[in-house]
Amino acid sequence: MSNTVTAGASVHRSPGDWALKVAPWVVLFVILAIVPFQFPSFRVEQFCFWMTLAIAACGLNLLTGYNGQISVGHGALFGIGAYTTGILITEFGVPLFGATVASAVVCFAAGILIGLPALRIKGLYLALVTLAVATLFPLLLEQFSAITGGSGGLQITSPQLYRGEMRERPIRLESPVAGLENDQWKYFVFLGITVVIFILSRNLIKSRVGRSLVAVRDNEVAAESSGIPVSQVKIVTFGLSAAIAGIGGSLFALDQGQLYPSSFTIVLSIYILVAVVVGGAASIIGPAIGAVFYGLFSDVIVQQMPDRIQPARAVILGVLLILLMLLAPGGIVGGFRTLQAKWSARRSSTHSSGLAVTGPSVTGPPAAGPEVTA
Amino acid sequence: MKDFLQILLVGIGDGAVYAMLGLGLVVIYRSTGLLNFAQGEMAMFSTFIVWTMWSLGLPMWLAILGGMAGGFCVGALVHQVAVRPVGDPHEKPLAVVIVTIGLFLGVNGAAQLIWGTLDRSMPPLFGRGQVTVFGVAVAWQKIGAVIVLGVMVLLFYLLFQHTKLGLAMRAVASNSESASLVGIPVPRLLMLGWGLAAAVGTVAGVFIAPNLGLGTNLMQLTLIFGFAAITLGGFDSLVGAVVGGFVVGALSSVMPRYITIFEKMPLAPAFILILAVLLFRPEGLFGKKQVTRV
Amino acid sequence: MSSAGDGVSSAGDGVSSAGHLLEVKTLGAGYGIVEVLFGVDLVVDQGEVVVVLGANGAGKTTTLRAISGMIAATGQVTFLGESVLGRRPDQLVKRGMAHVPQGRGTVTSLTVEENLRIGAFVRSDEQIESDIEQWFEAFPRLGERRDQLAGSMSGGEQQMLAIARALMSRPKLLLLDEPSLGLAPLVTHEVFDRLREISTSTGTAVLLVEQNANLALDFAARAYVLEAGRIVLSGNAADLQGDAAIQKAYLGV
Ligand SMILES: Nc1ncnc2c1ncn2[C@@H]1O[C@H](COP(=O)(O)OP(=O)(O)O)[C@@H](O)[C@H]1O
Ligand SMILES: [Mg+2]
Repeated sequence: MSNTVTAGASVHRSPGDWALKVAPWVVLFVILAIVPFQFPSFRVEQFCFWMTLAIAACGLNLLTGYNGQISVGHGALFGIGAYTTGILITEFGVPLFGATVASAVVCFAAGILIGLPALRIKGLYLALVTLAVATLFPLLLEQFSAITGGSGGLQITSPQLYRGEMRERPIRLESPVAGLENDQWKYFVFLGITVVIFILSRNLIKSRVGRSLVAVRDNEVAAESSGIPVSQVKIVTFGLSAAIAGIGGSLFALDQGQLYPSSFTIVLSIYILVAVVVGGAASIIGPAIGAVFYGLFSDVIVQQMPDRIQPARAVILGVLLILLMLLAPGGIVGGFRTLQAKWSARRSSTHSSGLAVTGPSVTGPPAAGPEVTA
Repeated sequence: MKDFLQILLVGIGDGAVYAMLGLGLVVIYRSTGLLNFAQGEMAMFSTFIVWTMWSLGLPMWLAILGGMAGGFCVGALVHQVAVRPVGDPHEKPLAVVIVTIGLFLGVNGAAQLIWGTLDRSMPPLFGRGQVTVFGVAVAWQKIGAVIVLGVMVLLFYLLFQHTKLGLAMRAVASNSESASLVGIPVPRLLMLGWGLAAAVGTVAGVFIAPNLGLGTNLMQLTLIFGFAAITLGGFDSLVGAVVGGFVVGALSSVMPRYITIFEKMPLAPAFILILAVLLFRPEGLFGKKQVTRV
Repeated sequence: MSSAGDGVSSAGDGVSSAGHLLEVKTLGAGYGIVEVLFGVDLVVDQGEVVVVLGANGAGKTTTLRAISGMIAATGQVTFLGESVLGRRPDQLVKRGMAHVPQGRGTVTSLTVEENLRIGAFVRSDEQIESDIEQWFEAFPRLGERRDQLAGSMSGGEQQMLAIARALMSRPKLLLLDEPSLGLAPLVTHEVFDRLREISTSTGTAVLLVEQNANLALDFAARAYVLEAGRIVLSGNAADLQGDAAIQKAYLGV
């Protein structure tokens, strides 16, 4: 690992460095490819859920991390994606992944709608409005029980050939590949979609559009005066972010096969936000790391704890969030980068130990609060 | 008509409680410039403290005072260890939002650990009696809420307008740098603001708990009503919180009765109100125009 | 820490440290990784009026902010014989140091009277009310507007209010950051005239930082010239004023 650190910090690009840069990704993909064969089916199912969360977090990260618009309501967009998929499949017989595409479109529109007020409402106030959306959403689902099934839930069914006749049956993702179990097949499909989404967002962020997202976040007035259409950027980012969260929700629906309003409360929104900030806002891979962290935490660690102290899970997450903001506001990725920078600074200073001038010195004790790199 | 009046009065009684929660939010906003998303959870927590003392045999009024003191300590502590070290909410809204959300999770989980997930029942402070006003029956509990609210507003008014401490708190909220340059120990005053807000939240909780049953999600919907109240009234206005509370209470009680789509969502009118006010009059009815600065 | 090391000051004049009201040695400060001050040395005696001159961006504001504890700093700051580096501004006000920040720093959402009252926050004596009335007599324009919000007043009035508010704490040392900034020349003259009256009548020492050299040198007894975070020159105000070469080189007059 330490070799890759130097490679990342180095300015020179030799073929060796390049190999070191690529190597971790190769290792990662090998691991991801082996994983479904090494774990029991219920774990593989959980991994699928983690991926839906990672996708939603990726969407939120575009908005909050890169564009600086705070949303505490992405659970609702995730839910819109899930229910759109469920309803399209059950009521209109849309093919499974066709429904995913349609959900993305619907969520894009929903995001634009929520984004409109965001043009005038910022910071804490936007957080407030999105919080209200998140709180309202499960109530909306119950209000419109005629199409959502209300608190009784929505069973997602599609016409399937059963004992020689077409019947409405619960949806299933069946593996077309011999030797792959259904859950393993699902895992690879989800993995493929997740990877594509993360790569697309990376490309978006590295593009001119991505730079304008960041410019708007850092200083709206300056962005405006350098010719960036601030309003358009903010609105479209909201839409895109929502669409991605919607894809996550859609996969969640395909994964679960049934939907209940209680899955889409404010708590879900908070967990998506947790994934973003724990992993590292404004880093591409951060939300994925955060989602894995959250998954490990809630599906593995918490399960080991005795039932009586299950609520401790919320306490631990809460304390963790606060500590993170105080100690490592850049999340796991941010913390790693800081270490990396320190390490390479130390290396370069030992190399040039003859010179008096070292890295920038900090005047006095650090100011009270660390900065958010978001 | 009588029917309408009945619903309206119920709404105004509820509104008094939203206003109390709103007062706590305003106190924090005025002294620190931030919206505390954990305000409701902190109120829930201190209401449980009240319940515990009461079920141990203390008289209700003493239990409430104890709960307020407990709430004050929780609020002050939370500010010292979690909120203050993060820095200026205007410069780092994301970090502050995350911290208050962390508090939300932490306080809620702590309450579940301590008191479990079963709802407890708490007696109404002013009994279950009713009185007939304009031919409409009104619970003493609702009238009591309005009176207690009135007392609280009066006390806060006196604090902010007629004491040195209150003046200093206002100075801190308006310009904390200038405040510290005249010798005001800013961190200590902020801590006090958080403590006071939490103490006020206790009272709100004591009034809501008999209605909804005292559980760990006591405040999650109520908080949105409280936010709606102060959004309408203006984030920095005590009077605004009261007026906003009454309007929100009345709307949320009357609208679902007459407009079927709101039937299962009494929260929806409050949400629409929040959105409309932030869009068209972000400083609210009584607030100072500075919301847009953020 | 390293900033203190390379701070070689040209102002080291070997004054003994005993008896100074304020003594600043090898003061270093900055913002994040950007260093602004590289070892500033200066002293202010009881009742003395001292000015620090410097162009825009020289670090004048940073110097005052470091002295009054608004930003972290390195070096030494001794006030009334006590090391005060690392103290918060409010703790320094209690000890007798008042800072009028650049850009007035009135509390705009409080009334004029409340601004004066809050200025006396560290006091608990009986004379607060009479002090307030005295300021209103000295500045009738403030008196007329006592119940108006401070934010609604003109720049000159706010500057006077900010100075009066700082003096309400009855400080031994007043730090003043560019009172002339953004004021019309006529108003600036008036503010300085009033300052002169106040400092002679109350005996309050003043550490003023200014760009406006002529005005400040008229007002002060001694002066320092700050350039790019270092003191490059110091002396009696009258000498500096008389020296055409210095005027040209450092003061851009
Ligand atoms: N808040 C800040 N953050 C970063 N740099 C600053 C800040 N304030 C001032 N500076 C920089 O410090 C230097 C000195 O500023 P300042 O002390 O305000 O100078 P002066 O008051 O003499 O005009 C300038 O280069 C300025 O850009
Ligand atoms: Mg300056």
